[in-house]
Amino acid sequence: MGVIEIEGLRKEFRRLRGGRTVAVAGLDLEVPEGGVFGFLGPNGAGKTTTIRCLLGLVRPDSGDVRLLGTDVTRGLPHVIGKVGSIVEQPALFPRFSGRRNLEILGRIDGRGAREIDMVLQRVGLMERAKDLVKTYSLGMKQRLGIAAALLKDPSVLVLDEPANGLDPAGIVEVRELIRSLGDEGRTVFVSSHILSEVQQTADRVAILARGRLIKAGPVHEVLAAGRARGMLVRVSDPDAGVRALAAADLDATIDGGVLRVDVQPADGERVSRALVAADLYPSELRADEVDLETVFLELTKDEGLAP
Amino acid sequence: MLFVAGVILIVVAMVIAAANSHKPSPDDVARAEAFSQQQFARCMQGRFLASKEPPPDFATLEEFCRVAAAPAPAANMRLSDLALVTEHTGTFTILLGVAIAASLGGADWTAGTMTTLLTWEPRRIRVLLTRALVVVVVVSAVTIVLQALLIGAFGVGVALRGTSLGTPPDEVRHAFEAAFRISAVAAAFGLVALAIATVGRSTVAALGVLFGYLVLFEGVIAGFRPSIQDRLLVRAGSVIVGQQPIYDMSGETSFVTGVSQQPILLGIHEAWVVLAFYVLALVGLALLVFRARDVN
Repeated sequence: MGVIEIEGLRKEFRRLRGGRTVAVAGLDLEVPEGGVFGFLGPNGAGKTTTIRCLLGLVRPDSGDVRLLGTDVTRGLPHVIGKVGSIVEQPALFPRFSGRRNLEILGRIDGRGAREIDMVLQRVGLMERAKDLVKTYSLGMKQRLGIAAALLKDPSVLVLDEPANGLDPAGIVEVRELIRSLGDEGRTVFVSSHILSEVQQTADRVAILARGRLIKAGPVHEVLAAGRARGMLVRVSDPDAGVRALAAADLDATIDGGVLRVDVQPADGERVSRALVAADLYPSELRADEVDLETVFLELTKDEGLAP
Repeated sequence: MLFVAGVILIVVAMVIAAANSHKPSPDDVARAEAFSQQQFARCMQGRFLASKEPPPDFATLEEFCRVAAAPAPAANMRLSDLALVTEHTGTFTILLGVAIAASLGGADWTAGTMTTLLTWEPRRIRVLLTRALVVVVVVSAVTIVLQALLIGAFGVGVALRGTSLGTPPDEVRHAFEAAFRISAVAAAFGLVALAIATVGRSTVAALGVLFGYLVLFEGVIAGFRPSIQDRLLVRAGSVIVGQQPIYDMSGETSFVTGVSQQPILLGIHEAWVVLAFYVLALVGLALLVFRARDVN
């Protein structure tokens, strides 16, 4: 049984000038317990709507959504105490201090000063806790939002675009925080369109486009779905390199002054030998790794979303 | 902030009132008392009324005459006006309550914190009813404290620059009764503002719709069709605050103890019923809308 189970979820929104927009079109998804689950998709793919359905903020038109084994439409109040979340931008009272915001939320669930200190410490906001939220940078607000989500000591964290608007240092901080939360055995369901971040953080991913699931599974499996790219080789004379490799039965093309060789990285030695035999010494030889972004673009190409 | 503004307004108003008043001289007091005695004698002869029967609110004619012929020395600040002053500031007090309630109701929508709140407490009916309770408590507390300050400040003004001569013994009690009625009406109007802020998801929407409705719609309707005044929110509020029914001026006049009276269009008890109906209907509507609508 998954921590999050979604079956046939469909949600449409009425447009102001008539007609309807399908935000989620029959989504099926299962998120297992523990670790970081990346929920990927371009803007408008239906990620936030799915999350809002999951948290009871939006009523699905059809389909089942279960959180911790409980049907969200009926039993959400019974499990919400175990679920921390940020939906889009963390919304906090700007004229209150960070600590005061957490105190207000903590009162709903009986969380006291000790728990507030712990989460502030964890997100590195202890020193600025007494400052008004309106004086916080975007990254600090994001961290305060995560602190609010952690205040319940949740077993499931639902984070919608937690790295949105952060500077590189902030992105790294949030990434490490999410990874550590996943390593603690919590289930972190994180939506993002920054694929490189998710690739470094997530254990499993699901790719969504136009409200439908395109691909889901462990990160390495999803990466394997991308076509193999072979190896990249830099030599002083690329044309001579192509000829030398062809003589060794290796297909190669020139791509931006670099040789792209159609061979598994494990066979890199063959490439080196062929080039050295032709008196060409590679200044660079590396695997042309498939990243999540590439896979994502390939998978969504048929959906008309990839550039 | 609204509370601080209210305190400042009271202080400024009382300073201006005190500056325009003065303590009556011993001669003024003596003249007022002599005139009062003459008036009292005339009243006891039944010359203030069509008959010697006391009006409905008084047990005896003497009781009526003590009030009607009370000495009134020349001074702008008189303690005998305390209840009247409290009632007349009621409109501002109620509007303050509306502004506070609309702010409380709209703040979460404006700041976007409703999403956060609902991810902590998804039972929306409980959320809205709790907010309604908060509105009632906060509006009641703020308006009572401000009116107590007003009564206190007026008392200080009277002591320094006015007179308490001719003040009925239960004037302060009447003033506090008026204050409690005003606070109750302010809390009820606050609930109406909360309901509109919840449906409109904004403080500005609540204030705009409510003031538009109360000032323009009810004002225009009451002007064109006076007979439906018994169903209007503002009229109900003013009847409760002033404890004065609205009479049907088109009805047949009757005579009670020699005093002519029109039939009552909106009595005090009916005014409470009208007010309660508006509050329950709008809070009920807000509950339905809040429960059903998506929070995006």
